[in-house]
Amino acid sequence: MPAILKKDKLQALLSGLSRAYKLVLPVRENGMTYFKPYQTGLAIDRDYINTAMSPKEFLFPQTEKMLSFKYREGAEILITGAEPQPEKLAVFGARSCDLAGIAALDPVFGGRFPDPQYSTRRDRVLLVGLGCRRASSTCFCRAFNIDPLSCNGADIAVVELEDCFSVEARTDKGHAQLANFSQLLGEDNSGTVETSLSGAREAIDTSFDGIPDPAGIKDFLDRQFELPYWENIASRCLGCGICTYICPTCHCFDIFDVTRGKPDGNRYRCWDSCMFPDFTGMAGGHNPRPTPKERVRNRFMHKLKYHLDRYEIGGCVGCGRCVEKCPVNLDIRQVINDINKLQGGEN
Amino acid sequence: MGNNGPLLPHPAMITKIVDETGDVRTFQVVFDDPARMENFSNKPGQVAQLSVFGLGEATISITSSPTRRGLLEFSVKKVGRLTTALHQLEEGCRIGIRGPYGNHFPYDQMVGRDILFIGGGIGLAPLRSLIDFILAEENRQRYGTVDIIYGARSADDLCFKNDIMERWPTAPRTVVHTTVDRGDRSWNGHVGFVPSYLEEINPEPENRIAITCGPPIMIKFVLQVLEKMGYTDQQIITTLELKMKCGIGKCGRCNIGSSFVCLDGPVFTLAQLKQMPPEF
Repeated sequence: MPAILKKDKLQALLSGLSRAYKLVLPVRENGMTYFKPYQTGLAIDRDYINTAMSPKEFLFPQTEKMLSFKYREGAEILITGAEPQPEKLAVFGARSCDLAGIAALDPVFGGRFPDPQYSTRRDRVLLVGLGCRRASSTCFCRAFNIDPLSCNGADIAVVELEDCFSVEARTDKGHAQLANFSQLLGEDNSGTVETSLSGAREAIDTSFDGIPDPAGIKDFLDRQFELPYWENIASRCLGCGICTYICPTCHCFDIFDVTRGKPDGNRYRCWDSCMFPDFTGMAGGHNPRPTPKERVRNRFMHKLKYHLDRYEIGGCVGCGRCVEKCPVNLDIRQVINDINKLQGGEN
Repeated sequence: MGNNGPLLPHPAMITKIVDETGDVRTFQVVFDDPARMENFSNKPGQVAQLSVFGLGEATISITSSPTRRGLLEFSVKKVGRLTTALHQLEEGCRIGIRGPYGNHFPYDQMVGRDILFIGGGIGLAPLRSLIDFILAEENRQRYGTVDIIYGARSADDLCFKNDIMERWPTAPRTVVHTTVDRGDRSWNGHVGFVPSYLEEINPEPENRIAITCGPPIMIKFVLQVLEKMGYTDQQIITTLELKMKCGIGKCGRCNIGSSFVCLDGPVFTLAQLKQMPPEF
């Protein structure tokens, strides 16, 4: 049963969270909304549909130090693994699509070889979801059965209603935190939340525009690797990689050393992209994905098939960022529609 | 403090360097920490990440058999930035090692079978870990005959000369068939390409497993010859090499379709490869 938070109490909740956590929340800056560290007087953006960057970077930073190496006497070398900052982070305002994105990253950084830096951040983070009030023209989370109101995967789910917020703890961590704010929260005695939620439901559901149907896509791609269609997509793709950088489920990274001219130095990892030729290019010159055709195919296949094959969880969450940001208007929704047409032609 | 995660290399000392050819060197290394050396427990066919600190890492197959305790061997061809830097190191230098990664040759399923190795150039390096595993005294009786067909461009390009000329030919029930693409006055052995030499030797497919590694063009024709000789896709095993960074299925670049070579490979049967997209 969700609790009620009066609208004028939101600031008090955020301020309270910021005392227990390093709090980031959506803030509008130069026409775009980003997660920014909370500070007194900073206005939370409550009209954003989604942030320019997903909260992925708080679990898997764009660049992070992995280790340092130091030479000692007698050519011995000392290697020290890096630890994430010890502070606990709270993300306020994660959307359902981005929470699904984190759920898609979890098995990648977990598994047989758990990644300590990701796991440490993941264990510490408090995810406060914020239900969507409307969809943008590029939103299509619904295609993947993601409910924009549900905040599945959040520790605490918040939905803004007409007169108040509904606030619900979903995990033990969420319950423990909300217990600290009981004086701010009220009980929903009159069933207001339920009535308002159905209004919010209708508002969001009617605001989607053209949701593709990926139902048969994987089955088709399981059988079809060589499609001339990928040539069409590749002929437009610039290979800029923006789709991969803003994608909440892309997890590829590069590893590199920095020494600044000295023998001692640091090793870092940073986001990388399967759109770049060097990503798979080998020292001897061989490249298994030598042209844009193989590279765009790999990206779309990863989103629509490979991730599902490997982790039984979708590789696309319908956040629409790649649709919005692609400089040549490549649109994964159109790709899904086109493949559906090809599939129709197959029979 | 500091994390002790799977991406952290461990310091090891180069204890011996063997010049195999003009551009291939074998590095014998020992971990600084004796416990790590003891517990490394690699299996034949697995790979490791070698660090030259300040430059980065490269994925290199472990060429020594786990039956040889107390050291690891890596044979490295000077091809790119990292391997060139490795070649500049001397005995006594430190590198970093993490691993072992990947699956391994299915040595359990090969028990009781005759084994045919077909290698070209530096491609013998990963096969060598299994050859020495099978020829090790404690394992030899569990396997049938061993045939090793190995070729290189010229006599100077043959790797592991001591193994192919001395050690392996004198091992029980083992025959080494060496060939070079181009002969010269110093070479009095067979001259010809590996696939045609394989056809000439014609080892029967019955109760035999064929394991091949070498340049892509050699593998392509070896597979054709093996199929012509009647080998099934299940009887043919190879080991792949793709660009890798993490080695543990996270950095994303060594995928072939839904498989990661670093986790699901590098060893695949031809039957498995035929199920995968031809993107390697």
